[in-house]
Amino acid sequence: MLNPLLALARGLQDTSLRLDLSQSTWGVPIIGAIHVLAIAWFGGAALVQDSQLRRFRWIGLSILTFTGALLFWSQPLRLYYSQFFRVKMFFLVLIGITALLPARHARLAMVVSLVLWAGVILASRGIAYR
Amino acid sequence: MPLENSWIFPVFESIHVIGLAALVGTIVLEDLRTLGLKIADTSRLKIWTHTGLALMLITGAVMFLSDTTRYLHNPAFDVKITLLVLALIAHFTLHRRGTRFAASLSLALWTCVVLAARAIADFDA
Repeated sequence: MLNPLLALARGLQDTSLRLDLSQSTWGVPIIGAIHVLAIAWFGGAALVQDSQLRRFRWIGLSILTFTGALLFWSQPLRLYYSQFFRVKMFFLVLIGITALLPARHARLAMVVSLVLWAGVILASRGIAYR
Repeated sequence: MPLENSWIFPVFESIHVIGLAALVGTIVLEDLRTLGLKIADTSRLKIWTHTGLALMLITGAVMFLSDTTRYLHNPAFDVKITLLVLALIAHFTLHRRGTRFAASLSLALWTCVVLAARAIADFDA
């Protein structure tokens, strides 16, 4: 049976949106710029423990997820086979898990997730190269 | 061996992006607070702002020196550096007053610096 993630990547590869994104001159650069801008705007929220920032955090994550999904859609198969992309996704899953830690470990969760976010950024830059 | 062909270049780029999140990320929080976002005191974030700035200046200088001709012939780089100088001047002068105008100007300038910086890759000759 075909790996469901590979099936998804193949499915996306055959869509007309993938073709439009990968053939457009400015599509991917603009989406990529919004992705980086969101890191700049919302990255600071990862450094503060403040429950008032909950909404702010979610807005940032939503923009990153949305633009990230479009970037994935522009070259699904290349990213599926990229080692760095796999490492990035693995780190993101771990960050999701740290968010589930009980509140009394909030400090630990923040430190661990900061280290993981640094790993996410390192892996992301690597994707541009292989 | 040119730095760009080595694994060191992506690592420097990554540290540059980590510095970006710390520098601009904390300035944005401070500015949005001035503009009315409900968030606790941001003054203890200064250490992150300055750490981020130091990381960015060091990694940025190394990347620039690794291939000066690339950057000096790139129109996006000119725009970025001009905006960066303006943003830094505004940050260490006007920004200290904490007015709504200064906060809005700071948000606009740093946003444009990031966009112009990102465009450097798109304007390689």
